[in-house]
Amino acid sequence: MTALASPRISLPTDPNHRTAAGVRWERRLQLAREVLRNPLTVFGLVIIGFFLLMAAAAPLLTEQNQPDAYQAPRDWSNIDVPPGTDGHVLGTDSTGGDVLYGIIWGSRLSLQLSFTVVFTTLVIGTIVGSIAAMRGGRVDNVLMRIVDIFLAIPELIFALAIAAVLGPSFENIILALASVFWVKYARIVRGEIIRVKQSEYVAAARVVGDSTWNIYRKDVLPNSLTPLMVQATLDMGNVVLIGATLSYLGLAQAGLTEWGAMVSAGQSGLLAGEWWVSTFAGLAIVLWALAFNLVGDGLRDVLDPKMEGR
Amino acid sequence: MNQHQPTIIRDRTPVSDAVLTLHDVKVHYPVKEGLLQSVTGHVRAVDGVDLTIGRGQTLGLVGESGCGKTTLGRVIAGLVEPTGGDLWVNLTAEQQRDVDRLRAVEPASMTAADRAAWQSLQTGHRLGSMSRENQRAYRRNCQVVFQDSFASLNPRQLVRDIVGRPLRVHQGLSGDRLNAKVGELLDMVGLGSQHMYRYPHQFSGGQRQRISIARALALNPEFVVLDEPTSALDVSVQAQILNLLVDLQGELGLTYLFITHDLGVVQHLSTTIAVMYLGQIAEYGPTDLVFNDPLHPYTRILRDSNPSLDGENDATEWELTGSVPNPISPPHGCRLHPRCPVARAECGWSVDDVLTDIEDRAPLLFETISRVERQDDFTADVTFDTEVSARAFADRLQASRAHDAVDRPLEIADATVSVSFREVPDATLQQLREGRLTSCTRTQNLGALPPIHETRR
Repeated sequence: MTALASPRISLPTDPNHRTAAGVRWERRLQLAREVLRNPLTVFGLVIIGFFLLMAAAAPLLTEQNQPDAYQAPRDWSNIDVPPGTDGHVLGTDSTGGDVLYGIIWGSRLSLQLSFTVVFTTLVIGTIVGSIAAMRGGRVDNVLMRIVDIFLAIPELIFALAIAAVLGPSFENIILALASVFWVKYARIVRGEIIRVKQSEYVAAARVVGDSTWNIYRKDVLPNSLTPLMVQATLDMGNVVLIGATLSYLGLAQAGLTEWGAMVSAGQSGLLAGEWWVSTFAGLAIVLWALAFNLVGDGLRDVLDPKMEGR
Repeated sequence: MNQHQPTIIRDRTPVSDAVLTLHDVKVHYPVKEGLLQSVTGHVRAVDGVDLTIGRGQTLGLVGESGCGKTTLGRVIAGLVEPTGGDLWVNLTAEQQRDVDRLRAVEPASMTAADRAAWQSLQTGHRLGSMSRENQRAYRRNCQVVFQDSFASLNPRQLVRDIVGRPLRVHQGLSGDRLNAKVGELLDMVGLGSQHMYRYPHQFSGGQRQRISIARALALNPEFVVLDEPTSALDVSVQAQILNLLVDLQGELGLTYLFITHDLGVVQHLSTTIAVMYLGQIAEYGPTDLVFNDPLHPYTRILRDSNPSLDGENDATEWELTGSVPNPISPPHGCRLHPRCPVARAECGWSVDDVLTDIEDRAPLLFETISRVERQDDFTADVTFDTEVSARAFADRLQASRAHDAVDRPLEIADATVSVSFREVPDATLQQLREGRLTSCTRTQNLGALPPIHETRR
């Protein structure tokens, strides 16, 4: 029997050959394809990819400074030289630190800042928001009043106060930002969970007799996470923006290859026409924040609850 | 008299084998106001419901939206905790008679034998005092199909996980055995097992409702609450789902509680009908009899409000007037009387009825009321801005049906009108004929509804 004679060809898309995991991946891929349809999102992803590569390849792109890689090597014979000078593509600052080196190694710090702060605040916020929404009543009241206290103070001022109390260091900036940002997530998670808890599929799960924990895990949480993911992506950029502000104000170690600290270090040279230090570092900050905002917006468009299920 | 009397229906005919019996079930939601959230009243969503659902029957629960039928369904499914009343599980006819009898007896004046019987009924059959296992068994045995099949299926779960969930929870199935059982269930509801690995949004409304039905039947329940399962569907699909439900009932010997606002649907499906109005049962009885010879004007109005193509009966139809009263303070006497076309003096008129009536139909006159001084719900002094308004009010009242119920003539002094109505107890469900209950005071007295030509004056 030839292959042509047999009409029953089993294709990979044959529903009977599917597996649950396969179908879930298919759905994720489809979502990814939708996200990539927006050119602005793609642009943002390219910039993020560029920064990620830069951070990963930092030891290859530059000769690592000893003993601390996050201090730019000092070239005392070339102070405040403009971009294009031999050996200093983007120039140097007033202590002979190479600007390009600072930006490359600074991307590692920004990455560290973004991921640490967003990840920890996401976890803390989800836990607090979930407890408040699932328990309700007095627990909810107490937790949400605490959140209100945090939200009453502008995040920059609050972070500034905490970092100032803890003392100037990059780790303390991370700590300060983490202690400020979680409240937003707690609030979002709580609102979403309260919405989802009233849905009929949660009622249906209760009729089936599933446990509260399972209902939380399978129904409530997965359906509450969408706005959280969008907010987290946007915050990846915001965190670096606020972190840079703090180190600009002098809350990071002196000479650190952090973009905000570099903008601050180059500021004194601006009037003398030495624009390159602040400008290139500032550009890096702007691009980082812009990239994550573009991706966040793109995600929001695709994951919009009104579009869900279409 | 203002307080709600527990409804005790005397000598009613029991159902041969009742899956569920409801006695005086209430769901009152507190209304909170102000900074301190003090309770100022209660929304009486379900306000004293008596209902019996026999095994293998389809009980159609019919009523307008907002009458409490969905809340009642949720109480039965265990999703809403009732604030009063009892739910009894699996009572024989004899036990129903016992429960009816013993409920009317004061605990203090019970004989020893009565007390023992009451005790054993409670621990064996009453939700709340049964053993935990029995209670869980009842929950497993009672499943729900919700109205909105899109909202009742988790959009992030595969059909296999949705339909297989009860099996995972209660039977610990997983892997191939779960798939096989889910496949069987999907075949049973006419979907086919090839749909197992798809998401709910990839299906049409009718298909999604089939998924809901498959989930509800996964644990082989005996009793299914169908909460308007077809009202979100196209008419052609509605018929398919209804036929599926009928077929499944025949195959599996299911008992249905079919909640709907559409009497037409229920007529074809149910063996028994309960008509609900403003949190209470207005009429209960076998479908044919309820349809052909309603014992409550509300039932007749619901029946005749179905539009018919031939335009029959149009001239003689009864109509409801006004809007649905506020469930925080429902009307006294019979709850329908302010809207009822055949209401008479004995139906329970009170001061609120008169005030609501002029608020609805003479808003300008209503604006001129300056003060209402109540002695109770039936007696009050209503003061107007001017004597002219007071006279206009008195004239209106004298021309209305409510005037038949005053127990002394209206007194008009200056701009104040003193009104006093006869106090009437709240209407309760009574057995009028074998197996037929109605809460209409007029039919309870006359034995039947007045002829159709008799309408309001």
